[in-house]
This record gives sequence, C-alpha cells and structure tokens, in this order.
Amino acid sequence: MASVALFDPCYLQALRPGDAADARRVLEALGDTVTLIDGRCCGQPAFNSGFRAEARAVGRQLLRAARAHAAIVTTSGSCTAMVRHYLPGLWQPPRDRAAAAIAARFVDFATYVARHPALASLPLRLPGVVVLHESCHSRRELRASAALEALLGRIEGLEVRQPAFAEECCGFGGTFAVKQPEVSVEIMRAKLESLAETGARIVVSPDYSCLAHLQSGAAGLGIQLEAWTLPELLARALG
Amino acid sequence: MTAFRDRARREITAEHRSATLLPIMRKLVDDSRAMLARGPADARASAERARADAVDRLEPLHRQLREQLALRGIGYHRAATPAEAVQIVRDLLGNARRVAKSKSMVAEEIGLTHALRQDGIDVLETDIGEYVVDLEGRGPSHITAPAIHLNRTRIREILQRAGAPLQSDDPVVLSQHIRDVVARYFDDCDAAITGANQLIASSGRILIVENEGNVALGVSHPRKHIVVTGLEKIVADEAGALAVLQVLAPSATAQPLTAFTHILGTPPAGQERHVVVVDNGRSRVLADPRYREVLRCIRCGACMNACPVYRSVSGLAYDSPYMGPIGAVVSPLLWPGRRHADLPFASTLCGACTEACPVGIPLHRMLLDLRADAVERRQAGSSAERAAWRAWAAAFRLPPTARAAAAAARLSLRAAGRLPASILTARSGPRALPEPGAPHEPALLQAAAPDRTNRSVIAPAEVLPPSALDRFRLRAEQLGVTFPASAPPRALHLTAAAAVAGTGSVLLTGSPVERRALLAAPAVAFAVDPATIVEHPAALAPYLRACDDALILTGPSRTADVEKVIVRGIHGPQDYAVLLEPPIA
Repeated sequence: MASVALFDPCYLQALRPGDAADARRVLEALGDTVTLIDGRCCGQPAFNSGFRAEARAVGRQLLRAARAHAAIVTTSGSCTAMVRHYLPGLWQPPRDRAAAAIAARFVDFATYVARHPALASLPLRLPGVVVLHESCHSRRELRASAALEALLGRIEGLEVRQPAFAEECCGFGGTFAVKQPEVSVEIMRAKLESLAETGARIVVSPDYSCLAHLQSGAAGLGIQLEAWTLPELLARALG
Repeated sequence: MTAFRDRARREITAEHRSATLLPIMRKLVDDSRAMLARGPADARASAERARADAVDRLEPLHRQLREQLALRGIGYHRAATPAEAVQIVRDLLGNARRVAKSKSMVAEEIGLTHALRQDGIDVLETDIGEYVVDLEGRGPSHITAPAIHLNRTRIREILQRAGAPLQSDDPVVLSQHIRDVVARYFDDCDAAITGANQLIASSGRILIVENEGNVALGVSHPRKHIVVTGLEKIVADEAGALAVLQVLAPSATAQPLTAFTHILGTPPAGQERHVVVVDNGRSRVLADPRYREVLRCIRCGACMNACPVYRSVSGLAYDSPYMGPIGAVVSPLLWPGRRHADLPFASTLCGACTEACPVGIPLHRMLLDLRADAVERRQAGSSAERAAWRAWAAAFRLPPTARAAAAAARLSLRAAGRLPASILTARSGPRALPEPGAPHEPALLQAAAPDRTNRSVIAPAEVLPPSALDRFRLRAEQLGVTFPASAPPRALHLTAAAAVAGTGSVLLTGSPVERRALLAAPAVAFAVDPATIVEHPAALAPYLRACDDALILTGPSRTADVEKVIVRGIHGPQDYAVLLEPPIA
C-alpha cells in the first residue's frame, strides 16, 4: 500500500478526459492511495519546437506540483521521458540538480504497474485481441519495452499482436505533425498498414499522442482501428 | 531558398520516394543488425572508443599524421574553407586535364567536381552511383548509395539520354556499362582524386573502403593521387582504424567488410600523393561541447537508413550533401546560415538514428539543441509562432484550473487540422477527475481478423564450424571465393599475409601492393597459411604494424548501386581462389 501521485498530462486532459480516472482505478486496485497533482504540462511541445524559456516556465510548475511526492505516475511515455531526460537540463547548475532530483521520481504508468508488488495478485482478464504500438519514447528513452510486455502478458485471455517493423515511428512527433504534415502522414500510412495487417481492431499504446495521430489517420484512410490507452485497457481488464 | 517542407512535399507527391526506399531500408536495417551481431561482441564499444579518442586528441593527432606522411613523401595540406580546399586541389593538379574522381562526401561538400569543371578540367565520377547522379544533375541522395532514389528504369533513361545504347534495364547491364566507361577513362587520365575513411596518425597511412575497384585504380594512378577528406577523419593507430572497420561496412551496407579495404602506405614509385584536409567549420564544432561528438561520425549512413523521415522524402529533400539525421545535424553546424536552419526540425525525434549510430552520437538530442539554437538566432519560428508559444506558456500559469491550459492545448492540437475534436470536459478543480468517458466498443476486441503480417522467417541460429579455418572457408565461400585443389588457369599467384575467419577476408601486404596487376588478372589464387587466420579484423593489428602498404580483400569486386541489387565483378577479376599452404592433410 503506497501513496502515489498521478500526473494527467495536458493533452490527455483535453483529448482523453477519462484516462486519468481509469489510471486511478488501476492504481487503487493495486492498493495505492492516489493523489492527482495539478501538473498540467511537462513543457514538451515548446521544448521540441526550440522554445526553451517557455518550456522551462511551464515545466517549473509541474516540478513544483510534484515536489512533495515520492513517486509520480505519468500516463504518457513521452511526457515521462521529457521530465526525466530533458526538463532538468533547462536549468543552469546547481538548480538543474534540484530539478533532476524531482524529475527522477516520475515514472511511466507501464513501468510503475509492472513493478508493483501487488500486480501478481491482481486479477486481470480481458478476452480478445489487440495490437501493441509501443511509442518511440517508451521504447528508446524509457526502455520500458520489457515492463510493457510483462504487464500485457498478465492479462488473461488477451492476445497481444505485434505489428511488423514494430520499432518504427508512427510519424506524430508532437509539433512535427503540425510543421511537416505531409511527411508525418507518409510515415503514418506505413505504420497503419502494419497495424491493420495484424487483423486486430484495437491498438494499444503507452502514449496517447501516437494513438490520437493513428486514430485520426485510420479514420481518414477508412481503416477500422480503435485506440485504447494502457489505463483504459487495464481498467477494463479489472472487470 | 526553399523550405524543407516544400522540398519534402515535392519528393512525396511527385516522386513517391517511400515506394522505393521503404522496403530497401527496412531490409538493410535488419541485415545490418544481423551483420553487426556476427562480429565481435564489443565491436560498437571499441569503435566508439576509437572515435571518441580521436575527437579528444584531434590536433595532436594531426601533428603526428603530418610528420608520418612526410616520412612517406606524402604531402599534407590543410584548408580552412571550401574555396581554399578547391584552390589547393587546383594547384596540386597542375596541368592535369583529365581527372578520375571516386566518391568523397567532402568533395561534394566543397563543390570540387563543379569547380574543376569550370576550370575546364574533365572530371569523371568513377563510382557507379555517383556516375548516375552526376548525369541526373541532382546530386547524391544517400552518402553510401548515391543513386538509391532512382529505380532501374530511371537509371536506364538517364544513361540513354547520355547516349548509352542499352538494351535492358537489368542492374547487371547498367552497372557493367558504367564499369566499362570508367575503365576506359582510367586508361588515359592525368590524376585521380579519392576520399578517405580514416587517416592513421601513428603510421601516416590512409584507410579507404570501396566495393567496385575504382578506388583501387585511383590510388594506384601512375602519376598523381590526391586524397580529399575532412578534419575529423583521423584515428590514433591501426587498432583504432580496425575498430572502425568492424562497424563501418556492417552498418553501411550490411557487409562484413567492403570488397576492398585499402590501407595505403608508401605510394607506388613515380606517383605523387597528397592529402587535403578540409576544416570548413569542424574546428568550430570541436570547440562546442554540445556538438563535438558529431565529429565521431564515420559516414556509414546507418542513421538515414533507419530514419522514417529520410525514407519518406529521400536525401534530395535535405538540399545538402549530408542528408538524413546526420545531415540535419551537420549541415547547420558546417553552414550556420538560414539555408539549413530548418533541417533540425525534419525529425519526429523517434531516436532510431541514435539507436543505429555505431559510434554513439546522440543525434536526436543534438537535433533538439539545434532547434533551440535556430529559435535563439531567429532562424526558425515566425513572429506568429513566437507569440503563440508565449501565450501557451502564459495559459499554463493561470490559477489552478486546468481549463484554460487544456483549452489552449486542445486548440493548438486542433490547429493541425487532423486531430479528432473532442469535448472538453469542464472540471470543477484540478484534483477532481471526470468519470471515464463513453465506453469504447468492446466488440472490437473480438472482431479481429487473422494476423496477415508477413513475418520474415527467423533463420535458426547459425552453427559455426569449430575451427578458424572452416569458419574462414564458410565466410569466404559466401562471398563467392572458391577453395580448389589447384590454382585456376592463368591465375595470378599471391601470398596472403593473414586471413580473417569472421569476414572471409585475405590480407595482402607489399611496398606497395600491386593493385593494378591484381585488377588486370583474369583470376587470382591466394596462398593462405592456416596458422595466420585470425578471428576478427581487429586481430590484424600486428600484421598491419609489420607491413607498409596493405589491402584487405573481402570477396571479388561488386556494386549494389542499382536498387541495392548486388552485381558481382566490377573492376578486377571475379575469380578468387584460396589455396591452403601448407595443405591440410
């Protein structure tokens, strides 16, 4: 029984308002006490666009909100990677160390749940088929692939299909999709083809940003594909 | 000046580059990974160490190199700018009118071919891919496969427009046609220009890798050989050079080693040899701790092979001799003006480049730093975008209701015009959670169709023979080398100084190695003493230290410049035979 903070990132608040409630359900089922922090945003959109002062101003509020918590579970892989790997570097020494101390307590939802001691006794059951799109940030920045695989493997009855070229990007890239829409769509097309070939109708990912991108693309291309976040999948598997 | 976005859009809509590039690059990335796995377990770590060490001691190593080259009678010239480099080459060429040039990215960088042609010098690109893109007129689209953006039909059209009577677009026919043009040119030219992969400081030797044999013809030019290379292409010693070799060809083209690895010692009698070292901003990069690691680059192209953006738009969209992730990093560093300032934004930041880089360059992190630089220098970010980010940051500073911030985020995301609209749920406070949204369609969980993914069959792990000799034989035979009981008729007999089991290679040494005799022979028989077979290229270091000029041969000459289809037998014999001496009982 642990006390954890939950960070519901800005774009999930806006585009997937139920996701945090599902995340809380899963964490509470594991026996944790959950506090939602007033985090809002990690600063990544501005940071990736080269606007570091703006990213720092926004990221500072998240670190302040997180300061009092020992573990901050974050429901988006790319936000977790932003906080852990890049946010502290926006301050000069010695303030960067203070920022890094807080940033290191952020953990992505998949890793946190996969490592949770109560997971072994948690009944998870969801018969059906999904295809996994692990985001690039989860795979390469957080190295969460093994945790993710272990976690999905715990869901009884669920067949998790792997697309061909699983390690390839979906083409979203945050503001990249806005600044280079033609290239972004070209990359997405290849990803959607691989996902569709698996025959699954539901794509699951630790990053809703990839999912939003893929879902809108699938609609445009007439591919039947519904996007579920990891908390949504697990909450449903709780029954 | 055009923007990356406009060029990219053109390559996508008018040329549909991914149709050609995506399948090729997917296979290449898989094959490269497998080839690296075949090598020594510490190959990447050793290569990274060798390159990091060279970057740390760049200037002292150049001083040592200069002394060592002088001992061999080789000229060392340093050029600060492209113009200076071109002038040095011009002076070194003297009254040469016909020049055979092989592939060199630095020559592209300084515009060498164009500049020499303006002087009235006849310059022939002798690499098959370079020959094609030179005729096409748009420049190389990949650093190791210059014509990869063109399919066989287009290549045939380009050659036909130049007057070649081609009956077919078979890659063999196309490659051999260019081979013949190049071979005739080499019979009568005044000088040769090549690039270099590494300059070896401790011994003043020059390492150049190639597959076709045009470099072998160039470096053995009877009168003049000029090497044009970048300041960072230096390595401390033979061990370092071999460490780089172990990752270079596997990462670039999924080969164990290229067909030819030249480790040039003393030049042939009568040949004048010069090395032109081009700085062009590299010293500035060296002085910047955020970017100096990029000087480790060995120009293998693994980052672009893995890059989803590169695969969609080809190298031509980058408007730079350096394309893909490495191009997006080095172009704005070498040319800090506006022209390349938008290249760092041509990335999804997926990190595939950083993962693929065999010498540990954190490419995607450098792209992030370069974006910030561009914004700071006002080379990126319109005033509207600047105002938008200020407003965005201000929105998140509003009192603790997520509403304004979420609305700002939502609006900016919807501005992309492609993300689904969603209903913004009003919240009473940041700590109150809305109930989960409308349930998804659970029926879709059951509605799956059979998995139609075409999975490449994973080959069972290779069982390697226990003896080094048998492993050498296996690898050499895979490259088309034969192991007959006696030498083929009319074969040139050569004695290998050593052989490499892991790559199927033989090492020839000499003062110098007689490259032209080798290329002119109808067949070659290599006498290999099984006692000299080493496991990996790294173990050749003592053999290299003990010799002057060296050539590692790894299968007969070949090219894959047309659609990555391997065509064997370009310059030089196709018939390589190994005779074991003493013969095994």
